[in-house]
Amino acid sequence: MRATGLDAALKFDPDTELVARVGKGDRAAAQALMARHLPGMLRLARRMLSSQAEAEDCVQDAFLKLWTHAGHWKPGQAKFQTWLYRVTMNQCYDRLRKRPNLGLDAAAEVADLAPAADTVLVSAGVAVEVEAALQNLPERQRAAILLCHYQELGNVEASEILGVSVEALESLLARGRRTLRSKLSHLRNP
Amino acid sequence: MTEDQKQDARFADRALASLPATAVPSALEARILADFDHVAARRAPGTLSRIFNRWRDAVWPSAPVWKPASVLAASLVIGVMAGALVPASDFASNASTSTTSSDQQYAAGDAPPVVNMAGDL
Repeated sequence: MRATGLDAALKFDPDTELVARVGKGDRAAAQALMARHLPGMLRLARRMLSSQAEAEDCVQDAFLKLWTHAGHWKPGQAKFQTWLYRVTMNQCYDRLRKRPNLGLDAAAEVADLAPAADTVLVSAGVAVEVEAALQNLPERQRAAILLCHYQELGNVEASEILGVSVEALESLLARGRRTLRSKLSHLRNP
Repeated sequence: MTEDQKQDARFADRALASLPATAVPSALEARILADFDHVAARRAPGTLSRIFNRWRDAVWPSAPVWKPASVLAASLVIGVMAGALVPASDFASNASTSTTSSDQQYAAGDAPPVVNMAGDL
């Protein structure tokens, strides 16, 4: 079942032609690829890192890898989007590991301080709490939650991006969802 | 998936839907495209490479680089080997012999024919 889904995805990978053109130095193809994937990658990195500036650097580095390796891209080995999101996720992990270890409470405080307290609307307050709860999740659980519930990818593709089995992904998801719900239990309807 | 897990999943969907959208700054797009231009410029052939490619197309049109390069290398090797293995004295003696014989031929050609007029008469 998994292999069939992957095969189908590889056969109809809409990015293959654009990547080949990028490998030959086609700027228009580079722009088209960027327009297609940049918003999703930035959303993912922004939520993983909880920092707009770091997310932008991370996405820029991921695209630099793409520009450098596009000429060597072999269609059929992996779906292009999966590879690109995996590169982005690895960039996020690298940045998270370089950060000083603040501990969970400190991380929550940093997230809470982001908006100006006086002007926070109720919906923005909810978003801040959700963001803080996300940041408190272990990074693998956060990545799994973001890929499946925020980027709305399927379990197979998300597991490919994270480099784990579908079963392991489902376990990460179950633990992440449970923690998220318990942390945000005071929000009845987020 | 149990009912409790389904509720957790629905809760996660709603919670993450409350997060604000992330706008893509145009400055970021410009930075990414500048990286592309930089990589593309680095990948483009340099002056020396362009000259070599022009020479290759003149010598052996539409051939891969290795063909003219290997023929050139082979001719160089043959030339160097011939230079190293054949003794220089052979060239010198061949040259002197050939010069002498040709001189003789020319000398013979230039000399007036010796005719024994008395004998013929």
